[in-house]
Amino acid sequence: MQMNLSDCKVGQEIEIVSITDDFIATKLIEMGLTEHLKTKVVLIAPLGDPIALDIKGFILSIRKSTAQNIVVKKVSEKQIDI
Amino acid sequence: MKIALLGNPNTGKSSIFNLLTGLRQQIGNFPGVTVEKKSGSFSHNQKRYDIIDFPGTYSLTPRSLDEEVVSDILGKQNSPDFPELIIAVVDSSRLENNLFLFTQLYELQLPLVLVLNMWDLSQKKGIVIEIEALQKQFPDITIVTTNARVGMGRERILAAIDEPKIRNGSYFIKDDHPQEGLTAKELRKKARDRKDKIELLVDAVLTQSEKKERKLLDRFFVHPVWGYLFFLAILMVMFQFIFSFASYPMDFIDGSFGNLSAWYSSNMPAGVLTDLISEGVIPGIGGVVIFVPQIALLFFFIGILEETGYLSRVVFIMDRIMRPLGLNGKSVVPLMSSLACAIPGVMSARTIGNWKERLITILVAPLMSCSARIPVYTLLIALVIPEGYIFGFLNIQGIVLFGLYLMGIVGAFIVAFVLKLLIKNKSKGFMLLELPSLKPPRWGDVFIGVFEKIKIFLFDAGKIIIAISIILWFLASYGPGEKIKNSRFSVISSEAYQLASEESKASMTSSSSLENSYIGHLGKFIEPAIEPLGYDWKMGISLLTSFAAREVFVGSLSTIYAVQDEGDEPKRLLESMKNEKRSDGTATYTLASGMSLMVFYVFAMQCMSTVAVVKRETRSWKWPLIQLLFMGVMAYVFSWITFLILS
Repeated sequence: MQMNLSDCKVGQEIEIVSITDDFIATKLIEMGLTEHLKTKVVLIAPLGDPIALDIKGFILSIRKSTAQNIVVKKVSEKQIDI
Repeated sequence: MKIALLGNPNTGKSSIFNLLTGLRQQIGNFPGVTVEKKSGSFSHNQKRYDIIDFPGTYSLTPRSLDEEVVSDILGKQNSPDFPELIIAVVDSSRLENNLFLFTQLYELQLPLVLVLNMWDLSQKKGIVIEIEALQKQFPDITIVTTNARVGMGRERILAAIDEPKIRNGSYFIKDDHPQEGLTAKELRKKARDRKDKIELLVDAVLTQSEKKERKLLDRFFVHPVWGYLFFLAILMVMFQFIFSFASYPMDFIDGSFGNLSAWYSSNMPAGVLTDLISEGVIPGIGGVVIFVPQIALLFFFIGILEETGYLSRVVFIMDRIMRPLGLNGKSVVPLMSSLACAIPGVMSARTIGNWKERLITILVAPLMSCSARIPVYTLLIALVIPEGYIFGFLNIQGIVLFGLYLMGIVGAFIVAFVLKLLIKNKSKGFMLLELPSLKPPRWGDVFIGVFEKIKIFLFDAGKIIIAISIILWFLASYGPGEKIKNSRFSVISSEAYQLASEESKASMTSSSSLENSYIGHLGKFIEPAIEPLGYDWKMGISLLTSFAAREVFVGSLSTIYAVQDEGDEPKRLLESMKNEKRSDGTATYTLASGMSLMVFYVFAMQCMSTVAVVKRETRSWKWPLIQLLFMGVMAYVFSWITFLILS
């Protein structure tokens, strides 16, 4: 199921599908966030903004307005529950 | 040999810099821009090395002023700062992310030393990097591992720069297109190609055995309730320390300089030079040194918060709250630094990528009560606010002090909000922020940071303050023509003088000579303008001199009253002020005039150095002048209201 990164919840494991803005995409690539990357939403600030992702051990925080440019899909949630 | 130290933020670059240079470092500016340039030097094997610690950056394509400097200097071979060798620092626990910048540096074809820092941390995380495989990919550079936090690896770096490998023209990605003139799409494609190649490389050289979950502390730090409470608690503790602990060394410094001054004037032959030194120079230097304890404590705390990585959590939880005010989560650092001094505060706003948010941060930063206002506040509070407690434990004087700080902070937020509505937006606000892993601070780095800040304060601000003290002494001791002498004569011959007691005779002559000095004339001249606020011409003098720098206020009063009390035992300033009377016999410093004066200091832009820095940072006179104006209007209006209410 595809959705915007801005709509994800804490703990959700996701895969980046596409980034719409070229300029933002370049900056994100430099910081390690690329298409096809599997990542996880690790922290969301109070008031739901900004959002922090774990990119291979590196925590990157992005504003919700930037996250709206990022399309993601959920990765199976088998490890959750119990 | 000229060395450039480069790397991503949070890689321990500064620890490496401190490890190599120790205390032999200076902070200046890169030519033409105000980006802070940290440089230092060291010797090894009879060779001298000059090293520049460049701002941390993620790539050579800049997105903020800080990062622009790096690509600017590395792109210009004739720049005086162009390096002969590069030391690239990489956090080995985050190799993949850090290699983006490193591979760009590799293509510059300069001799290069790759420092894999935080080696212990990566091993703790179960990361294994095969250095031989990495070396095969980059054959013409030296690779060393370090652990700068505990001071390991200095020898290895020294050995590597002593005999750097000669570059043989190898490249990571052949790059024959210049960066300029590419479309956003092309730039994205290039970045993507580089990233893909790095991923392949990292797969080949790095294995990670286990992945550990942590972040329990982070959940707490960013919690909607506990996160903010914790931050508030940290601020409270900081200010408690700054105000209660700093007062001991400050009293000591105050007393020592007073004694020195008295000793000097009684042991040296009387004359103009002795007066100049005991009434101008010594109190002037004392007025500078007295700030050192507070500045040291403030930067000590900010240093710890920064080193541990906690400060970035603060940015994270404050961003959404600051944005409606036209600010940015990153504004928290400049605003907090401005509580020490607006100058480093304004300069640290450079990390804010968005122009409008950066500008607003700069414009409101001087409204935060800086440490230069502390002596003004403490002196006036001691003078007009009674000692005592509310509810048995809340110190009244402490509450007033807290209220003054709050007034500045709330004022800053309101002004920011108004500016947000007035200033047109130029660029879209986006902020990519790294949250570095939490770790205990490296004390050596914290202390070196404190030491550097004090050095800058003592030498840069100190020069101005001492010069002004001397000028003031002159202006207060001399007057136009023979007026001073004449006034003395006319006082002595007056009838009131003949009838007065011996004690009041002395005071009558001396205050009359101050009144007739150059500065007395100046103070009298502005008196009508400041009378509605409850000030007399002596306060007016201090206000005027404070426009050079607020910290001059106490020094000015000391000088004024020292000149006035000439011949007497040098009194403590507080005593002289308490005894100060208006012409109608009422006390000069009342609750109303004292509070009004404090409110004036909360809002007024009385700092030439800040004006100069804002001009440099915004690259025009427009913004500092606007700032000077709105702060001046706020100061006048609010202190007027304060005086009206309280009197």
